[in-house]
Formats: sequence, C-alpha cells, structure tokens
Amino acid sequence: MSRTSKDLSIESVWRGGVSPFAVSWRKLMLWLFIITDGLLFAGLLAGYGFVRLASPQWPNRAEIFHLDFIALMTFILITSSATMATAVGAARQGRVQTAFRFVLLTILGGLGFLSCQAYEWSKLISEGARLSSNPWGVPLFSAAFFIITGFHGSHVLTGVIVLSVVAWRALRQRVSPEGVELAGLYWHFVDLVWVFIFTLFYLI
Amino acid sequence: MSQTHQLSGYRIYWIVWSILLIVTVGMMFLGTTALTTALILVLLAGMLLKASLIGGYFMHLRFERANLIVIVAVGILATAGILFFLIAPDGLRVLNASQSVNLHVGGGR
Repeated sequence: MSRTSKDLSIESVWRGGVSPFAVSWRKLMLWLFIITDGLLFAGLLAGYGFVRLASPQWPNRAEIFHLDFIALMTFILITSSATMATAVGAARQGRVQTAFRFVLLTILGGLGFLSCQAYEWSKLISEGARLSSNPWGVPLFSAAFFIITGFHGSHVLTGVIVLSVVAWRALRQRVSPEGVELAGLYWHFVDLVWVFIFTLFYLI
Repeated sequence: MSQTHQLSGYRIYWIVWSILLIVTVGMMFLGTTALTTALILVLLAGMLLKASLIGGYFMHLRFERANLIVIVAVGILATAGILFFLIAPDGLRVLNASQSVNLHVGGGR
C-alpha cells in the first residue's frame, strides 16, 4: 500500500527529532505538570462541591469572611500576574534589568498575598476553626477551607521561591528568557487556580 | 526595536489586567447579593472568562499550537467537569437520604 505525503508527514512528526507541540521540552514538561497539578485542584474542588451538595446547611460565607479582604487578595494576585507577564515580555526582548524589576514586583505581590492568607488563617483559628471542627456547625466547612487554601498557599510559596531564584539569576545576568517564561507560566497557573477558588469557595 | 514599540508590547497584559479587575469587581458585587441559579451561572461564566484571559494571554496559550491548547483545555476543564458531574448526583442522594432519615426520626418521636 502506498503511503500519502500526509501519512509520511505525521509519521515523521511522531518519530521524534521534531516537536509536535512546537515548544521546548522544558516548556512541554511544565505544561504536563500544570495539567496534573490542575487536576489535583479539580479533585479538591469537586470534592468540595460534593460536600456542599450533600450538606443540608452551609455557613454563610459573608458572616465568616470579609469579602473586601478576599477581593484585596485577588487584586494582589491578578496584579502580580500582570507584572510577571511584563517581566516575561521584557526578558524576551533582552531587557534583563526591566525583567528583574518586574520579577521583584511579582515577588512582593506573592509575599503580600501570603501575608493576607496568614492573617485570614490566624483570624479563623482564633475564632475556633480547626481542621475537624468549627463554631459554625459544619465541620467539613473548615476542613475544605484549610485544605484548599492551604494547598494553594503552598503553591504561592513555591512560586515565590522559584521567582527569587530567577531574580537572583537575573541580577547576575545568568537568566535565560525561557527561564523567566517558565517561572511566569507557573505563577500564572497559581493565579488561575485562585480564580476558581475565589468563585467556587468564597462567592457561590 | 524602539523603546516605545517595546513598551507597547506589554500593553496587552495591562489591558487584560484591567478586564480581569472589572470582571472581579462585578463578580464581587453579584456575590454579595442573594444568589439565584441565574446569578450562579453568571458567576461561573465570569470565572471561565477570567480563566480564559489568564490562560490565553498571560500564559500565552492563545499563541500556541492547537494540539497543546486542546490537551490543556480537555486535560483540565473537561476532566474537572466530568469529575464533578459524575459525583454531583451522589451528593444529592446523600442529602436526600439524610433528610428522609431526619423526617423518620422526627416522625417517630
């Protein structure tokens, strides 16, 4: 059977030596990590949805959280994503100093977000919220809160550490544009997850 | 490339940032009102819009090959949707079962 040029083209793509996704292997590996990590949060949020549906009552979020404060946290994270995107753009253009400054701003945003989260956690803990109990009558409420925001917070902390390494390397002129881009990709993922947590946990 | 042209290359990120902020403020406003099914759908639409903007522009997914976009979108969104909609009926069954048990206990007293 004779093979068409399309068959040969597909075969040559998947035989190796070329990139079917037209991205570097490092970027592809990070995308695969993001997909699997995204599924971790999807599982947590789906579990939270199950608990919400199965519970006859659920605490009123407006009585427990200050939504203005949560909005401030969201503002900080969205702004840090914009500064990170600008850093990536600057690094691509070879403007390492500009990239360094915007990475620093992103780190400040991350630290600001973590400070807000630490304040929110300590406030709820001081009100009696624990992983297995809370004063609002539905134990799974605080369990869901601490697990979901805790996992997300650990990702933010990891992002701050990664960005600090990138900033240090940029300061020494040893960072590659792709290095900044990969760090940025992870940081935007952290922001993306917060969009879902903010809506599903705090608003709905 | 001129300095002005370089700076204009970042403009798209700050336009996206502005849209994200506007949508977030709108969602906050809706979130503080009594939620109806329609409002919940609007909030979910706002969430997906924000996720698309972050994924598309900040993560540059919009400029990647279609096969990578499909892998990410199907990998995360479709799997998450299937996961939730497969277990959601069980959640409602648990709720109905607990309510009927409460009714029986209440009726037996």
